Amino acid sequence: MLRLIVVRLLAAVPVLFVVSLISFGLTLLVPGDIAAEMAGPSANRVEVEQIRAQLGLNQPPLERMLHWYGGLLQGDLGKSILLNQSVGSAILERLPVTLSLAGIALLMAALVGIPLGLLAAAKAHQWQDQAAMGGALMGLSLPDFWLGLLLIWVLAVKLQWLPSGGWIPFSDDPVGWLRSIAMPAGVLALNQMGPLARMTRSAALEVSNSDFIRTARAKGLAEPRVFARHVLSAAAVPILTVAGISFGIALGGALVIEQVFSLPGVGRLVIGAVLRRDWPVIQGGLLLTAFVFVAVNLIVDLLYLWVDPRLREAR
Amino acid sequence: MKMPAILKRRSFAIGLVLVGAVAFCAVFADVLAPFDPVKNNFRYRLGEPNDIYLLGTDRFGRDVLSRILHGARVSLRIGLMVVIASGLIGGVVGLVAGWWPKADAWLMRVMDGLMAFPGILLAIALAVTLGPSEMTAVVALTVAYSPRTARVMRGAVLVARAQDYVEAARAVGAKTGRILRRHIIPATMAPLMVQQTYIFAVAILAEAVLSFVGVGPPPPRPSLGAIIADGRDTMIEAPWIALSPGVAIAMIVLGLNLLGDGLRDALDPRMRNTVR
Repeated sequence: MLRLIVVRLLAAVPVLFVVSLISFGLTLLVPGDIAAEMAGPSANRVEVEQIRAQLGLNQPPLERMLHWYGGLLQGDLGKSILLNQSVGSAILERLPVTLSLAGIALLMAALVGIPLGLLAAAKAHQWQDQAAMGGALMGLSLPDFWLGLLLIWVLAVKLQWLPSGGWIPFSDDPVGWLRSIAMPAGVLALNQMGPLARMTRSAALEVSNSDFIRTARAKGLAEPRVFARHVLSAAAVPILTVAGISFGIALGGALVIEQVFSLPGVGRLVIGAVLRRDWPVIQGGLLLTAFVFVAVNLIVDLLYLWVDPRLREAR
Repeated sequence: MKMPAILKRRSFAIGLVLVGAVAFCAVFADVLAPFDPVKNNFRYRLGEPNDIYLLGTDRFGRDVLSRILHGARVSLRIGLMVVIASGLIGGVVGLVAGWWPKADAWLMRVMDGLMAFPGILLAIALAVTLGPSEMTAVVALTVAYSPRTARVMRGAVLVARAQDYVEAARAVGAKTGRILRRHIIPATMAPLMVQQTYIFAVAILAEAVLSFVGVGPPPPRPSLGAIIADGRDTMIEAPWIALSPGVAIAMIVLGLNLLGDGLRDALDPRMRNTVR
């Protein structure tokens, strides 16, 4: 077990190396003068040179890279020019908003999508199946930011049930937090519900032909129990895989949906930095979101062992 | 005349109608659009939908319907270019990785690294790095989404190379180039086509996001996402500007997903259990 965890951790190292290379390499692709662009059109030569020195752009690329990696190994992602704050702390203080948004969205998607997929498999090729799968496909085809605007218009502007945006921390006011996260998380959940429901259906259909399911039925188990206990646990691995991928997509979606609902998360920070060309923040944002994704998929890998004892035996 | 079997699949037929309808409007936007999409009319700004302006006008008095027709053309064009580019790049990478085990580990680590980023964030960062334009959007989305194609292609190559007929071709002395051309590549076309249909859908959604956050192709010819971004500030007085282009995006994406499902079921029933 421990050996397996170490093996998985080591496998993540090359991926993270590629991730860091891409995050760093991005600035080498910028066509113009980064320092001049960041300083703005009204800046004089001295200010531009100041920013150039601050970013280390007066050094050759290789030296810059070594410097960047040196900082990275000490947990230093550089300093945001616009915020005058270290990139690491700027991102970390906003990460809880983004992670809770993506996490709650995935939870909502799983709570609706998995039962929906099981229902579709139990009633395969009947109207319930077609309705559930039609709904799932519809959900994953709607642009999330547009759906957010639509919900704001209906629920916040017309009906005035929910606030149109803004963030209330859970520790300040749990009910207010729920109201502020309901719409953005709901939008992302609707998107992620589709893949989960589709995967659950196909995995459940595959499993439901196996001998042990026939045995379960033959010994007189009620159909809901057959599905909840036997089919679901045998279909858990592919469902988990999709959930891991979905988390990555939900994370990307959270970054975008934060713009729509004015939530103070990593997305607001990074996309704001993109529009104002604050390169250290862009690099740090890319690096840390990829890091979170790799970590989540490591957890998913370990969850495989928990849901499927056969995999524990394999090594 | 006999109807091809694939058209009898309901999801494929509905998808074809949806995509076909939008593609028709996009191709003939010049003829179909009742107004010039970039012509201002300050006497009728933020106008409600009526008999003349079927979907109303925006803050410059431009006809929203005409803008959507032309916007669909931009969105579809970018999506199609991403499909072709990611099909070529992802296809070649997947072919090399699947056929030569020595290249496999290296190439797939790079692909895994690219896929570790939220695709949309990588595309946004690349778009701003290279400077917003239509070409940039295509490049950014291609880099972000080709790894998925490479993965599917690699899987298909691994399946194909294990077949007896490939072994037989090698036994009779066929050269690698010939085996790839005659036996491997044709066998990968079905999964590749299905994958690229889904990539088309994803690319159109992602391009809309690029435009929405302001790093898409610059005005005056907006994509559907840019029209939504444009209408966002006037959501309360004139919700039709931001809301109607979304319906067009949803139609295309839903249609493409249905086409993909139909193709997948028709081309290879065993693939029904895979998700993209």
